[in-house]
Amino acid sequence: MQLPDAQLAVIEAASATDQKTIAQLADETGREPETLTGAAFDLAERGLLDVTERPDETFALTEEGATYSADGLPEIRLYRAAREADADDDPVSMGQVIGASGLDGEAVDIALSNFARKGYGEIDSGALSTSPDADPDADAEAAALDAVAADDANDVATDTIDRLVQRGLLTRSRATERAVELTDGGVTALMEGIEAADGVGRLTPEMLTSGEWRNADFRAYDVEADADRTNGGRVHVLRETAERVTDVLVGMGFREMDGPHADAEFWINDCLFMPQDHPARTHWDQFALSEPAEIADLPDDLVERVKEAHKEGVGEDGEGYHSPWTEDVARGMDLRGHTTSLSMRYLSGEAVGELEPPERYFSVEKVYRNDTLDATHLLEFFQIEGWVMAEDLSVRDLMGTFTEFYEQFGITDIEFKPHYNPYTEPSFELFGTHPTTGELIEIGNSGLFRDEVLRPLGVECNVMAWGLALERLAMLTTGAEDIRDLHGTLVDLDFLRNAEVTY
Amino acid sequence: MVVVDVGFDELRRLTGHDEKGDEELKADLFALGIEHEGETDDGLAQLEFAPDRLDRLSVEGIARSLRYQYGDDRGISIPRTNDPDWRYEVADSVPAERPYATGAVVRGVNMDETVLDSLIQLQEKLHATMGRDRVKGAIGIHDLVMLKGSEALRTPNESSGERERDTSTASASDGRAGEAHDPSGRDPRDHEAAGSADNTITYRGIEAEADTFVPLDADAELSPSGVLSDHPTGRKYAPIVAEYERMPTIYDEIGLFSFPPVINGRRTELDADSTDLLIELTGTDQWTIDRMCAILCYALAARGGQIEDVAVSYPDRELRRPDLAVETKRVSHDRIESVLGVDLDPETAIDLAERSGLDARVADADIDDGEGAHVEGNGRSGTAASTDERNTPTGTDGSRSAAGDSTDGGSTAGDVMYEVSIPPYRQDVLGPLDVIDDLGRAYGFNDLEPRYPDVSTVGGRHERSRVERAVRQRLVGLGSEDLLNFHLIADAENYDRMGLTSPDATGGGDETADAGSNDADDRGAVANGNGTDTPFGALAPARIREPYSAEYGIVRTWALPSLLMVLENNTHRAYPQELAEIGLAAGRDASESTGLAEFRTVAAVLARTDASYEIAKSRLAALCRAFDVELETPPTDHPTFIDGRVAAVVIDGVSTGVIGEVHPEVLVEHDLEVPVAAFEFRLDALR
Repeated sequence: MQLPDAQLAVIEAASATDQKTIAQLADETGREPETLTGAAFDLAERGLLDVTERPDETFALTEEGATYSADGLPEIRLYRAAREADADDDPVSMGQVIGASGLDGEAVDIALSNFARKGYGEIDSGALSTSPDADPDADAEAAALDAVAADDANDVATDTIDRLVQRGLLTRSRATERAVELTDGGVTALMEGIEAADGVGRLTPEMLTSGEWRNADFRAYDVEADADRTNGGRVHVLRETAERVTDVLVGMGFREMDGPHADAEFWINDCLFMPQDHPARTHWDQFALSEPAEIADLPDDLVERVKEAHKEGVGEDGEGYHSPWTEDVARGMDLRGHTTSLSMRYLSGEAVGELEPPERYFSVEKVYRNDTLDATHLLEFFQIEGWVMAEDLSVRDLMGTFTEFYEQFGITDIEFKPHYNPYTEPSFELFGTHPTTGELIEIGNSGLFRDEVLRPLGVECNVMAWGLALERLAMLTTGAEDIRDLHGTLVDLDFLRNAEVTY
Repeated sequence: MVVVDVGFDELRRLTGHDEKGDEELKADLFALGIEHEGETDDGLAQLEFAPDRLDRLSVEGIARSLRYQYGDDRGISIPRTNDPDWRYEVADSVPAERPYATGAVVRGVNMDETVLDSLIQLQEKLHATMGRDRVKGAIGIHDLVMLKGSEALRTPNESSGERERDTSTASASDGRAGEAHDPSGRDPRDHEAAGSADNTITYRGIEAEADTFVPLDADAELSPSGVLSDHPTGRKYAPIVAEYERMPTIYDEIGLFSFPPVINGRRTELDADSTDLLIELTGTDQWTIDRMCAILCYALAARGGQIEDVAVSYPDRELRRPDLAVETKRVSHDRIESVLGVDLDPETAIDLAERSGLDARVADADIDDGEGAHVEGNGRSGTAASTDERNTPTGTDGSRSAAGDSTDGGSTAGDVMYEVSIPPYRQDVLGPLDVIDDLGRAYGFNDLEPRYPDVSTVGGRHERSRVERAVRQRLVGLGSEDLLNFHLIADAENYDRMGLTSPDATGGGDETADAGSNDADDRGAVANGNGTDTPFGALAPARIREPYSAEYGIVRTWALPSLLMVLENNTHRAYPQELAEIGLAAGRDASESTGLAEFRTVAAVLARTDASYEIAKSRLAALCRAFDVELETPPTDHPTFIDGRVAAVVIDGVSTGVIGEVHPEVLVEHDLEVPVAAFEFRLDALR
């Protein structure tokens, strides 16, 4: 049998006939009691050792107790001084005796109160007399103090100890004393011979290269104990949601768009058939730039066609807006209020050349709105934008596409509420039931692009499109209540570190 | 979105559906796209909807829509109008910026407080929407009794202009059907005499001090300029007329009684006893104010009002108003089926149109596009007319219902073309898709079965987003917390607190050419080894015009300021804090069409007790190795970093960023008590 070093020491020191305390084992083996205790329990578990536990009291002198142990208890000193003044015959003045005893301060009171209690004499009207029967050499308290000082207090009466503890001369500490005794199995094992095996804390490269690990006994850890906290690096929780959306859309055959964040109003608004006097086009809703203030190049023929759509409409009895339209306004630079500006650049052929149906495109990119920053509104947020270009698309195709998309996020039973957008017709707000709260929430805006949008872009087939704030989806999937935790410079790192993974 | 306050009791009364409970009404309204948002203090329901159906900006309009939805009403209904008694004269002197006027007289309105409140709300909501806050169109409604038009006796002139409205409407509508709208506001009836209108009000422009009147909510006579400076309403709308050479005013026989678009006079103020009303509108566009006027007339007709035409006399032409003419749009059956994705019988299509408050009839298929729009002599395409029409094509149609889903396989009704009449209160119907949307709503969009389109395409990510993801994965693997910061930032955060000086602060406005040298083709200029050029991050920014808050006044020119802000906001959180961001930054660049060079930037900070240049460089080097690019770090100067512990990031020979230990001054500025090592460079360098 092989045992770790400490266990071997314990089993060798233990006896089958006499219980030995851990303290005794420590004396014999020169090892730390803690090590031995652990080893003893390990051996008990193997059935080689019995461990008996009993409560153990130990005492120590307090500073005051140590003084009295050396100088004598104050009451005894008082008694001896009284005897020297012959107080056994007649009472002697208290002051005289105290002076002779050399007691002062608190010790005087202590001496006086214990003097009478322990029957050393009497105190009457400031005079002190000793008792003839008193025997300071037989004082149990003094003896007890000496015994504790000599670390041999086992035989001292309990009430004497209690009294001294009460007087503040002793401290009592309670512990469990463990004693060990070999079991029959232990005796057998010893007789069969036991070799030392190293108890291994850490597996070292040396052990591996030398093959020593084969003989190693790996010390068991407290595997239930808490470990130190690791934060590590991780992808931002909102980015995780964006990646998930991207995965879904790519899987559905959508290709990703990319383009400018700061763009001309032409691409952001005019191509979308937003009249130039539309209330949402004022700087109250979107960020206009003072620098750079104007785009340098716009495709002239497209500008002409868009202008005509605004002024005259599209189609045989189409109608335009009865609103002013100037290229100056169209050239103005804004931060995009939606990523539909990208869709316009792609559909017009400006981004990647003319597109032939069918096509699917998407982006999950930032947009900017001149809003008030609060728990549910940000000045910049991510918009999911997607569109499908094909011949003969119907609102049923639109519904089917979005039903499929939202199902990937656990949102089923979408409702389509007829809605109005200047750039799509028919248009729908999409509502879905929150998977956990059961609440009906708006989850997107969609529609078929108008002829007034598509024809100027040179698109003759149908295009259906939809948009959605990524943060809204993320708030549903992460349970975040304050959008500012999710996105931006006001973020709380602990929120990011503790956010549940999205996948 | 627009919000209208409506009493449910009033709605029940006007729809004739006393049995409908509030909840039932709310559900019916939701189906119309109108949401119940809450209640006012007075117990009125606040109803919200998208700003397309502006005819629903009153309880009368919403009730009309509900009656169509319930099937109580079908097709178009046009209020009959009486012949004009009043003439609106538009003088040469009107301000050139506001040349147009229109209006109507309405008699016998069942006026009470509720009706008056609703009328005032409708007026305000029309101002806020179509009227573009009174700039494009402004409404004045006056108590007719208080107006004096002429000394002459009001004798109806039997001979000249007498027209029976019920027939004349039809001819008017047909006359207009094929006309493209002329933005000048010319009307086919421009030269028709209005004849009998003997009472006259005059829209004219006057000098701002030339006359006085007592405006609403005032006790004293004020001139127009006095109103603009001293009256609260005047001050509010003063900007509209600020640039006008002359003030727009309206006079009757007695004198000045209205100062559009600012305020009416007190003399003609409406109250709950006013039954005869004069409506006048002025604006910058004839069509717009005519539509606003039509919506008002419909609302008042629903209150028992009898509409009376007015003659609007411009110096060069004369119009008869209100314009309650019916527009027509041609919509093909094919398009309806294609957009809705269902097969329909033509009579179903016509039925849906009538349930939407439109009229539809099958146009003669032989008629050629351009001219075919005019269907002469048919009169108003009312219910009776369309009943006759709808039988014609159905004979060939029996098989279509069985055809099920297929919408694109040559429809037998495919060549059917409908002529759809649009009532004058609808300002939102521009083309066929708007008509189809109405039909879809009447059909019930939610009754349509979704289907996944049978369209095959190949998906994929943009190259930029793939490289971004790859860099992000690498940085996270190196232990960084990935961040997503705002692109908008304060000047002070972007420059001053980082130890930089904004180029706008030093060079004056026109430094764009300088920033231009920092675009992607010439990145050597950025943070180059000699430190002679602009330090990395110190580009001229895109600047927001009139920002609400200086905290978000510019687009960031680099990302490290954002990361330092996050560190600053999280000093109470456990360290180490190792953050990274791959995000947008931008600098003005005259060589770009947009005037702005946008780029992705890679930034990282290490905030920990043992943060050092060496650790930062080790991370950066790991990243560069992963992308198989060569990294050099020649010493440079940069005010954000400690001298001697800062280097340019040179990747494959191009200087593209900066790396170093952040200067104590910058750390203290951000309340940080741990050292920070950082680097930032342009993502392009790894592509």
